[in-house]
Amino acid sequence: MAVRCQFENSNEVGVFSALTNSYCLVAVGASENFYSVFEAELADHIPVVHASIAGTRIIGRLCVGNDKGLLLPNTTTDQEMQHIKNSLPDKVVVQRCEERLSALGNCIATNDYVSLVHTDLDRETEEIVADVLGTEVFRQSIAGEVLVGSYCSFTNQGGLLHPMTSIEDQDELSSLLQIPLVAGTVNRGSEVVGSGLMVNDWAAFCGMDTTSTELQVIETIFKLKDAQPSNLVAKIKGALIDNLS
Amino acid sequence: MVLVNFKTITVVPAGDALVDNVLSKTQRKTPTVVHKGYAIGRIRDFYMRKVKFSQQMFHDKLTHILNDFPNLDELHPFYADLLNVLYDRDHYKLALGQLATARSLIDGIARDYVRLLKYADSQYRCKCLKRAALGRMCTLISRHKKNLAYLEQVRQHLARLPSIDPATRTLLIAGFPNVGKSSFINKITRADVDVQPYAFTTKSLFVGHCDYKYLRWQVIDTPGILDHELEARNTIEMQSITALAHLRACVLFFIDPSEQCGYSLEKQHSLFKSIMPLFANKPVIVVANKTDLGWESALDDSGRALLESFKADSGGRAVLMKMSTHEEEGVSEVKNSACEKLLELRVESKVRGKKVQKVLNRLHLATPKATSQERTPNIPASVLAKRAVQSQGGDDTRMGGEDGDVEMGEEGSGPGAKKLERDLQEENGGAGVYSMDWRKLYKLRKEEWAYDVMPEIVDGKNISDFLDPEIEAKLRQLELEEDAREAVRDVTGDAEVGGYRFVTQGEKQVVQQIKDRKSLIKQESVREKNAHKHRSALQRNKVLTRRSRLQEHLEGLGLEKEEASDLVDRAASRRGVKRTRSESVAVSVVRSSSRPRSTSRTRSVSIAPNDGFSDPRQKAKAIELARKKLKTGVAKYGRKGDADRSIPSKLPKHLFSGKRGIGKTDRR
Repeated sequence: MAVRCQFENSNEVGVFSALTNSYCLVAVGASENFYSVFEAELADHIPVVHASIAGTRIIGRLCVGNDKGLLLPNTTTDQEMQHIKNSLPDKVVVQRCEERLSALGNCIATNDYVSLVHTDLDRETEEIVADVLGTEVFRQSIAGEVLVGSYCSFTNQGGLLHPMTSIEDQDELSSLLQIPLVAGTVNRGSEVVGSGLMVNDWAAFCGMDTTSTELQVIETIFKLKDAQPSNLVAKIKGALIDNLS
Repeated sequence: MVLVNFKTITVVPAGDALVDNVLSKTQRKTPTVVHKGYAIGRIRDFYMRKVKFSQQMFHDKLTHILNDFPNLDELHPFYADLLNVLYDRDHYKLALGQLATARSLIDGIARDYVRLLKYADSQYRCKCLKRAALGRMCTLISRHKKNLAYLEQVRQHLARLPSIDPATRTLLIAGFPNVGKSSFINKITRADVDVQPYAFTTKSLFVGHCDYKYLRWQVIDTPGILDHELEARNTIEMQSITALAHLRACVLFFIDPSEQCGYSLEKQHSLFKSIMPLFANKPVIVVANKTDLGWESALDDSGRALLESFKADSGGRAVLMKMSTHEEEGVSEVKNSACEKLLELRVESKVRGKKVQKVLNRLHLATPKATSQERTPNIPASVLAKRAVQSQGGDDTRMGGEDGDVEMGEEGSGPGAKKLERDLQEENGGAGVYSMDWRKLYKLRKEEWAYDVMPEIVDGKNISDFLDPEIEAKLRQLELEEDAREAVRDVTGDAEVGGYRFVTQGEKQVVQQIKDRKSLIKQESVREKNAHKHRSALQRNKVLTRRSRLQEHLEGLGLEKEEASDLVDRAASRRGVKRTRSESVAVSVVRSSSRPRSTSRTRSVSIAPNDGFSDPRQKAKAIELARKKLKTGVAKYGRKGDADRSIPSKLPKHLFSGKRGIGKTDRR
């Protein structure tokens, strides 16, 4: 189930929300419309929580989390952290970390088992990631970009990478993450996959500009419907190569 | 798509039309009136301009023609050869070359006559020279009438050529005349090629387009070709040969084993063999057409062997397919297999290139190798249950990603649906007015805790810094320890138990004393501060001097020392002088110098006599003082300002000197 939505005329929905398998954080907007998109899809299953971090709305880029935990940047105020703690289930560990690269959402990409982190991240932060999120941690870059959180998006079932990721990199990442991966775009050709797309194991939210082709790729690779990713390209691969190159 | 657009070439004027056009333009766009009385330079310019103008017009027109027509050396070889076949390369190049020569000759003529015009000494001579120049130019152009006519014909024909893109995916249909090539293209595309039951119905190339695998395919129908020497082929056949030679296409070689076309199967086979070299590096399909005529059963053994030999003769590359365009049997199979073969070939060659990497990485699905690790998705049971219900009921509320709307609250449309925050917002005043209650979603051990007020800062300390989930347990632990120690002390009376020393009574008293003293000092300092709060800022010694001076003055007036001191005290008191009803002596002293009551005024006057001065002398003195003061003040600060009038120079030099001596004007 993939849904198109917008935050106050911005298609970068991943900037203003954070989604995992056990909770969803949504930025405070001028109206409740954006919140209600998530509420309608998710509220029956997981808490959908209004949040701000360091007084800003760009929560998706500042924090990172998965099923087990949530990492907040050191700029988070005590009250914001208390609110998040109060709203999330007890099994989710909320932790603030003193990392110089405080946009954790840009620097870390994670699912419930593996995390990819920025190559310059502190060693201590790396340990905190491993402890709080309960994942294996790998220092990686994607298509030459160190901001792994911005340029990829993956769940326990599949992942979407920066469109310029080479085939070798894709295979390497796929064997690290143990999930099928494709390179692709969202929001009508935007390569900033992480901020254009919010996805967990059963739901996805992407910007309003996303084309139906992009949506189809997203639904298939993240197994949001019954389709299997292998059918995706095999049939028309030749035609695409001939037409595009 | 097409590299050169032949349809944009502009019309080539005939020789006469070109000359007329240029001459009339020269007449219209240059000056027409000249007089022999004019200076000779002016007359020369007039005629030179005419010559130069007509030369420029001819030059522009010819350049336009030369630029419009494609250069055969720069064209795709297919088009270059096609143009050669259709218009004769030599003729074409010669025509354009001669026009280019004519252009430079005209330039030369103009140059020469302009040079001669410079030396002409009368209007008559000038006119004759101009006439000669224009005449020679026109004669030159009219000699190229035939070239211009030929180019116009070529232009008209070029504009009617089909837009064939030599680089795209192409199916090329070739074969003997009358074997069903045009019927086939009519079946698979929307091209409407004329089909007639006689040979050479198709006399030129035709293009149609069809779809396969979401791609557009160009299908080219060629005129029939006969089996003879290349040199003996006519223009119509040569078009087919050109297409076969230069287009990287899938070739569909049509044969008619029923021989209804009028050519025997052997002839068709020998044609196939003779044009084999043109099929190099191309997928070839031999299409045996007209199965509806029943040739399959009628064919004898030798015929069947001949049919099989097509494949053998092509080195095993050609595929034989049977089809009937009349019955539409096998038409789409032929098309699909042709497209498939060509696509395979094109993809194979493209994959070897560098450009394809950008596309390939996006078509790649990276799948992990099988692993022992079990990494299951964490999907809540409620989601799975909902999915199961949906798949059973088949009422997938969402229509897929195509509708482009925000798909929210779709479940909310039903009557018993959950109320979303958005609905609450609309009910409670809309966006900007409604603010959501964040705390209602809190998951705390007791629900009523959600709305507890929690201070941020207590006693200057941030509560969050001391927040500890186990604080109660820790406190309990400490209390237990203390109780245990006290119990021991009570029993043993030891001052020190397990490293902890209890405080003695004496020590407690000392501590209490210190605390009391501290509190006293604090109170004292507070009182001191408050006492000084409203005191005047004047220094004490100044007050004293004033007091003593006043007292001296009063004593000088004849008051007793005590009385004077009393008055001074009263004056110094904060509330000011307060007279008692029984007036003191000092007051009576003051009164004694005032006027008698009978002469005193009953009403106040607004203006004091002498403007408030005691006598005229004092007044005069004060006025003088003020004048002096004012003077020094102005002298000190009175600088020249913008507002001051100034005349920098009474008699400016530039206005009062010069040639105009009559005195009529004094200003210029």
